[in-house]
Amino acid sequence: MNIIVCVKQVPDAKDVRLDPKTNTLAREGVQSIMNPYDQHAVEEAVRIKEVLGGEVTVLTMGPPQAEAVLRQAISCGADHGVLVSDRAFAGADTWATSYTLGKAITSLGNFDLVLCGKQAIDGDTAQVGPGLAMRLGVPFVTCVQKVRQADETSLVVERMMDDGYDVIKIACPALLTVVKDVNEPRVPSLKGTMKAKKAAIRTLNATDIKAESASIGLPGSPTQVVKVFPPEPRGERCVLTGTIDEQVEQLVAKLRPYLV
Amino acid sequence: MLKIDKDLCIGCGICEDQCAFGAISVVDGKAEVGDTCTLCGACVEACDVGALSIVDVEKSLQMDLGDWTGVWVFCEFRKGGLATVSLELLGVGRKLADQRGVTLSAVLMGYNTAETAAKLISHGADIVYRIDNPALEHFTDDIYGEIMTALIQEHKPEIVLAGATAIGRSFIPGVATTLNTGLTADCTKLEIRTKDGALLQTRPAFGGNIMATIECPSTRPQMATVRPRVMKALSIDEERVGKVVDITPTPDQLKSRVQVIESVDAQGYKVNIQESDILVSGGRGLDNDKGFDLLRQLAATLNADVSASRAAVDAGWIPYPHQVGQTGKTVAPKLYIACGISGAIQHVAGMQSADTIVAINRDKNAPIFDVADFGLVGDLYEIIPKLIAKIEEQRGA
Repeated sequence: MNIIVCVKQVPDAKDVRLDPKTNTLAREGVQSIMNPYDQHAVEEAVRIKEVLGGEVTVLTMGPPQAEAVLRQAISCGADHGVLVSDRAFAGADTWATSYTLGKAITSLGNFDLVLCGKQAIDGDTAQVGPGLAMRLGVPFVTCVQKVRQADETSLVVERMMDDGYDVIKIACPALLTVVKDVNEPRVPSLKGTMKAKKAAIRTLNATDIKAESASIGLPGSPTQVVKVFPPEPRGERCVLTGTIDEQVEQLVAKLRPYLV
Repeated sequence: MLKIDKDLCIGCGICEDQCAFGAISVVDGKAEVGDTCTLCGACVEACDVGALSIVDVEKSLQMDLGDWTGVWVFCEFRKGGLATVSLELLGVGRKLADQRGVTLSAVLMGYNTAETAAKLISHGADIVYRIDNPALEHFTDDIYGEIMTALIQEHKPEIVLAGATAIGRSFIPGVATTLNTGLTADCTKLEIRTKDGALLQTRPAFGGNIMATIECPSTRPQMATVRPRVMKALSIDEERVGKVVDITPTPDQLKSRVQVIESVDAQGYKVNIQESDILVSGGRGLDNDKGFDLLRQLAATLNADVSASRAAVDAGWIPYPHQVGQTGKTVAPKLYIACGISGAIQHVAGMQSADTIVAINRDKNAPIFDVADFGLVGDLYEIIPKLIAKIEEQRGA
């Protein structure tokens, strides 16, 4: 089974926090990490490959330094890394991103399965996975919490719903987005780390994937950011004082509106 | 392109601090932009001297916008019930439609929807497009997507809204992709710009640390998913008149490449914590799974539901659908009571939009107290039973 996993390099949330006084982002040296959901997508792909054979190709769209997440995926068992990188991709919204990823995947040849994380933690849109499935013309299931069965022709998966879960059979080729519950990602082995260091990363630009310039980057994005601003400041915060009984007394007084 | 006017730049570094992507650095007293810039514009807003600008780029996708009119709301119907967000969408949709002077239509898909269409009219809809079919009993992306796409192509609404639910967030992105138009996820505010009637869509990004207002300038429809519990439903008006239009899907539209084998309801406690008014949430500080028994008692006293931090889920004390935070769910209840949760940024990202936050933690330096409106420092196993007793005493009084 040939599996493609789409991953994204994102700023580590640990380095980003809201300064409670100024209500602006305060950061000390942003580190980049692989989007946490994507780590689960890589792990699931490697597990399926270990049972059914085939190859796992990880693909990312991003600046040259995003190569680091491809090497991380290879250290965890992926076979190949493809970096889709071009200054012309900058400013892409989810429409242009799914277009670009679709073109890149098509340029790589045949696949049986595409795996993505449910969403990236910087944008939180969860739109690229379904959009990419439409670009590729394959069926998709989002928020997969368990892959029950997989063979070359179809998969049976559990998809998380708001009221429980649905069990779904889907024909291959297909696209799945996964949530954290799907598996526990492995820690890279020493051998994997060595392999990742030496791995050749293939780089594709807009011309390589035959992308139309009108459909990529900021000009190819239907949405436009009008403005960015800090959220409304919260009211005064207070830590209650006194004995436990006194604190509880004060809290219940404050919570009166909710005690209807 | 992000343009930096080197003559105006004073090298103060505010833009560097504002950039969530680490794309700007001050080199030799002047700001420089790197490869990781996403053109989000946060730095442009922050710059005190006006040295930064995003050079306007002509959108390559262009449509004749005048052809598109009306506001549409997708109404989710599952297992015999209408999702509450549907009525909230009609509430905000009505406002937008009135401002634009156009009709508000609801698209109702499901099976055995009975009197639901009338309910949608009494909550604000002028027209209900009803597709009631056994093939819609279970949700599948391709059938829902095909029908929705075809209806939009036929009737050309200028605005399409859906709930940011498991269903809305799944099939609506596919619809927008096929229609070659923009979609904004998880909006918390929608308004019409007076000068040109454009829909301004505001959403939190980066775990709620920044807000972004987004428009869709040159394509239609303008599409958005809207977070449940943010918009207000209109009060019911039985006198309101509307029209129900029954739509029969074509056989091709009802072909699916996915098959729902079974739909399993969550056992035990409610898992749709995004619709809860009050959440009692537990973390590592509970020390064991028995702690959730205590939290459930408090929840019962408050008519609340139970959620958790990642640490409690990873420890196996409570299932994943209850997890709040960056790799779980984003919630915005009226009241959020964090018990034994330290308040890592990944957790705070999922709950900081709550109206009121209470934190109970034995460590007075825990970061959760930075976001809590009311903090109680002490042992939760001592505090919570007293809290339950006190609330019951109040209720009895």
